Order: sequence, then structure tokens, then C-alpha cells
Amino acid sequence: MTRKASPTIALFPEASFGAALNCVGIAQALRARGARPVFICHAGFSGVFADYGFQEYQLPTDDPLSDSERQSYWQAFVRRHLPHFKLSPVDQLETYVAPTWQAIVDTAANAEAPLRQLLARLKPDAVVLDNVIMFPALAAAGCPWVRVVSCAETELPDPEVPPYLSGLAADDPCRASFEARYLAAVAPAHDRFNRLRTEAGLAPLPKGLFLEASPDLNLLLTPSIVRRERAEPLDPSRFAYLEGCVRSEGPFEVPVFPRNGGPLVYVSFGSLGAMDVGLIERMLAVFDRLPARFIVNVGGLRDSYRAVPDNVYLDAWFPQPSVVAKSDLFIHHGGNNSFCEALRFGVPSLIMPYCWDGHDNAQRAEETGVGNHIGRDGWTEGVLEKAILGLLADNEMRARLRENAADMALKPGTDVAAEAILSLIRT
Amino acid sequence: MQAAARRPRTNHLDLAQRILDVARQRGFEAGAHLPEQQIASLCNVSRTPVRAALRLLTEKGVVRWEAASGYRLAIDLAAQATMTADLPVTEEDELAEKILRDRSARRLDQTVTVGALMRRYDAERKTVLKSLKKLTEENLLDRAPGQSWLFRRTPDDPEAQGESYEFRLMLEPAAILTPGFRLDGTRAAALRQGMEALLALPDAAFDSREFQRLDIEFHSMIADGCANRFVTDALSDHLRLRRLPGVYAGVNVFRLKQSLREHLTILDHLEGRQFEVAADLLRVHLRLSRNQRPQAASRGAPALFGMISRPD
Repeated sequence: MTRKASPTIALFPEASFGAALNCVGIAQALRARGARPVFICHAGFSGVFADYGFQEYQLPTDDPLSDSERQSYWQAFVRRHLPHFKLSPVDQLETYVAPTWQAIVDTAANAEAPLRQLLARLKPDAVVLDNVIMFPALAAAGCPWVRVVSCAETELPDPEVPPYLSGLAADDPCRASFEARYLAAVAPAHDRFNRLRTEAGLAPLPKGLFLEASPDLNLLLTPSIVRRERAEPLDPSRFAYLEGCVRSEGPFEVPVFPRNGGPLVYVSFGSLGAMDVGLIERMLAVFDRLPARFIVNVGGLRDSYRAVPDNVYLDAWFPQPSVVAKSDLFIHHGGNNSFCEALRFGVPSLIMPYCWDGHDNAQRAEETGVGNHIGRDGWTEGVLEKAILGLLADNEMRARLRENAADMALKPGTDVAAEAILSLIRT
Repeated sequence: MQAAARRPRTNHLDLAQRILDVARQRGFEAGAHLPEQQIASLCNVSRTPVRAALRLLTEKGVVRWEAASGYRLAIDLAAQATMTADLPVTEEDELAEKILRDRSARRLDQTVTVGALMRRYDAERKTVLKSLKKLTEENLLDRAPGQSWLFRRTPDDPEAQGESYEFRLMLEPAAILTPGFRLDGTRAAALRQGMEALLALPDAAFDSREFQRLDIEFHSMIADGCANRFVTDALSDHLRLRRLPGVYAGVNVFRLKQSLREHLTILDHLEGRQFEVAADLLRVHLRLSRNQRPQAASRGAPALFGMISRPD
């Protein structure tokens, strides 16, 4: 098998920052190896990849809503779901997970026809899908497709692995009841998705599954330190574990704080989490009395905050890997991208999950001793203070994480991913 | 307050900067004679403050004193776009920077009072007033009724950034196309040198503050070259807002380097007097820079398209 001189690799991340930026990391490594990575992106994400120097192909949509109608629709969606983020994982199943799967199925259905046309025109040598649902057009593209499992490892079920989105331990007695409730909650979306698959010529998937393993290559963003033992080990010829997948960003200069002493704590709940202004305001009141400096990602909502403490710096966006590298603690929502970045730079995580696999990573962080977690709701100022100070003082955890980070740095996930993808390409 | 007492007076610093601006505009080279009387008349001041300002520049090594002939320029001004970074800062400048930093981080509300600022920064009333005056003169702040001041809106959130780029798209290309546009060749040469040096740095060593300085200087040079002084004033006032902390957040090194290359191409065309091409390229440059990051998206909420669409 020889490689084409400059193969075109189409990366197709879902419309979320985690997936988008994982794929930027892989694309940077592909570009460094002479490939031509291009991005297939949803309308709202165009510009993001071009800013890293990659060609973008925007996926047309036949969505009948105007821009402002669509904006109103999704603003209402988020407003409706913010209270659900305070619920336990099992109570989110009907309130948040089921409607979200419906929305994801809508996305797949709307994308199918334009995606087929785009892939036929683009004729990529491989497609990299970083999503939680299958797009039948990929199977028909006539080239290998790669699945990136950039959620927690729980996305791939196994009897020894806790149920996806449950936040449970593997042997939790609630496991069976969670699984039953999950299957019931997502059944309408799943039935609809299976009909879509059948119409597109793909076999239906078992209950609860929306994405099959790729027959070619599957990449799991699961560093060794948090990896799980599986009852049925994954076939190493088709499944590759990555020690994270961290993109390279420019340097970050730590700002000068009016109260400029103590360890540095970075806080980011992702762009959606940044909308929970009430939660962040409560946290700022705690930060004010702690002997540390806090860098807080508040998205585009800086004007929602007043009288910010002198040891806190707010901004709309940070070159996250470069900030994490300089931090002593990372408080995040358990997004797998953030979790992997914390591990890659040897920084303990304090996870405050609000949805999806954030619950699974929160549980796993504590199980593996790489951090701690507290619920998003119901915490007191004392609980948050104790959690932050406890992690900052845990020198043993820090030493172990630093050692692990040095190992991770030796085998960057982006390089492993790029090599594995290029090895698939046939002449 | 001993350190503050050693600081040079603001008016001498301002004058020192003006002397350098005049020398640069007139193309003075290293070694050029700087007669006190000529400098005084060029800067519309008497010889006494000019002497103090020249002494200040001598201390900084920018000017040298020769017993036989007086003051001479000691450096090549074309090699540096501005000298501001090398001149000492006054107490009020330092306070003004702190006020801007704290406003950007929302430690200060949009409205501030002198009393509250005196307490917060443990500063004398006159220093606070001078800082506020400076910020008011720079159009960053407005006097409100009573003893309060109101910060102007700055392009540090996605919506305001969109409006800022729309404003610049209207006026910056027009600044070039207005008959009588004049490029300051010395300033352009210094900028080119600075941008090429920054471009040569590896990504990991990229200096985003230097980018910010060069970016503002590049666009200000275009504003200053416009023959219509109302366009110049409007753009200069607006570009000053880009000095504020937080305005450049969220742009990665790839785009910043691309932006520098676009500046250099525009400069090529300006220097070749191909003003229409330069104006078109400037429009494209601003449109590319306007690309915004999505405002809301997350795994598990995968289709927030409406909330993450850009203005165009």
C-alpha cells in the first residue's frame, strides 16, 4: 500500500467546539505530513477552521427557518434546558437527552442529501467523522471512513464499562434501571433514525445505538490513565487509543491581576456552559476569598458580570491548551476535550458536569485519582472552597499527573491519529 | 510616592513624543541636528519645555547632546514605528492603564466616580482626575452628570465586534480612495520591518501584544493618510478602542500571521500607488478578520446553528 502524494482528508466534526478542535489537532498533524485536510462544517461553524488555515466546505441546509427564526428557536432551546442541567443524569434522560437525540437525528436527516452531493464532488481519500450519529452518506462515499470517539469511552458499550451518559460506576446497582430508562427515553428518536438508515440502504442499529464502529478505523480519545478494562477488548487493528488530541495554539500570557498572588486556576464550562451566568456568579463569590488567581471563560457574556473580584480575569475566549499548560487546576464541565487537555498538561480537574458525557468523565476523574467532581447544583460555598483548596494542595496527585503528562507528550494523539488515517489510504 | 516623584511630567513626555513624530514626518535621519528654536516652532511651544523634552530623550538614548552643535538625533527613527514603549510612563498613564484593565475584566462598572477610583487605587484626587482626563481625551470615557464618568462601548463582545468591523468596512477603504490620500513612507517602512520581524517568529514565540501594536499602527497609518480629516478623526477615535484589553481575544496565531501577510500585500499596493487595489484588499482583509467564533455550542447540544451564525 503506497500513499498518494497529497491525499484529501475530509474532516466532519459535529457542531461543537470539542469535536471541532479535536479535529483541528488531527488536521494540523495531517497537514504536517503533506496531506490536504479540509473541513465539512455546519453553517454556524464556518470561519472557525479557516482561521487555522484549512479549506472549509459549508454543508448547505434546507432548513426553512430564517436566521433570526433559527436563532430564536435555539435560544429558546437553551433557555428551556438550562434548568435540566441541574438534574441528575438519570433525570436528564427524558428532559434533556431524549430531545437532544431528536435534534441530532434531525441534523443527520437534514445533512444527508447535501452531504452526499458534497462528498461526490469532493472525492476525498478518507472521511473523518467526529460525531455521535452516523451519516449514511459516509458509507456510500466510496472511501474509508474514520470514527473519532471524542466523547468519553462510555460511548462504546461494554459490560465492564458504565452506561453512556450515566455518570455511574461500572458496578453500580442502578446500572440496569438506568439502561432500561435510557432505551425507553431515546426509543422514538432511535426508531426514526433506523428508518432513515433503512431508506438510505444501511442496516438498522441495535436499540440505543446511533453510530456503528467504522469497518476501517476508530480513534478513541481516551488517555491510558483513565482507560477502562473491557470484557470484550477492542480489536487493535480497527481501534486505536489516543493519548488525547490536543491542537497547537499560540502562547498565552498570564494577565496581571490587581491581587496577583497564588496558584492559577482556569475555569471553562464550554460555550454552552458559559451561558449559565448564575452559576459562575456564585462561583466568583467563592473565588474572591481564596488565595489564588482565576481565569474564567465567560463566552460572549462579559457584560453580564459586575464587580468582578481582583483575583479573577474574565474573557470571551482563551487559547485553552496554552492556558491549561500554565494552570495549577482546571475547573471544567467534563467535556472530553477539556478533560484530555488537563491530563495532557498534568493539571488536576475539578469537574462540574451539566450534561452528556461530562457526567461520565466526572465519575472517572475521581475513580482514577486525576481530579474530583461536585454537582452543578446544591453545592455550598464551603464545598466548592474545600474542593478547590484540596486539589491545589494535593501534591501527590500533581506529581502523578505530571509524570503521566510527560508520557502523554511522548506520543501525541494527533500524530498517532494522522499516521493511522494516512495508513488507510489506498492508491 | 518617591517613585512617582521621579516620573517625568506628562507634558514633557507628550512633547518628547511630538518631537519624535515631527522628526519622523520630516524624514530626519540618525545624526540630524535638532535645533531647539526650530523644534520649538515646529511644535508650537517655547524653548524651555523643548529643552526639558530633549533632556528626557537624551536620557533614553534617543537624542545625544554635543557641546559644539547641540542636540542630535541618535537613532534611526525609521526602524521604529513609535517610541512610546521606550519612554517612561507617568503615574496618571499607569493609573489609566489599570482603569482600562479593570474595566475590561468587569472589575469596574460602566460608570465610575472619582471617589471610588481614589479608594480603589489608593491614588490622589489630582492623579485620578488626570487619568480620567486622558481617557476622556482618547474618547474612551465620557463625563456623566455629577462626579461620575461613563465608559464608552468597546468592541469586546461579539455583537460590538461585528458593528466595529462594519464601521471600519465603510470607512477604511474609503480613506484610501478619497482623492489626496498620502502614505507616510517612513512610517510604512518602519511598519514593514516590524511586521516582517514578527512574521519570522515561530508560532510558539508569537508576540500577540506586538501584533496588536502593529495592527493598530497599520490601520492608523491608513486613517492618517486620508485627505478628509473627518474620516481621519472618526477612524482614529475608533481605532483607539482597539488598544483596550480584551479586543484581540480569541484570534489564533495562524490568523494573526495571515493578517500580517495581508497587511504587507496592502502595503505593497499602497507604496505602488495602486490605491483601488489596496482598498479592495483592505476590504477583503477586514471581512476575513470579522469571522467570529461561534457563540454557543457544545456536545449534547449539537445544532445551535442560529446562535452560532456570523453576522453575514
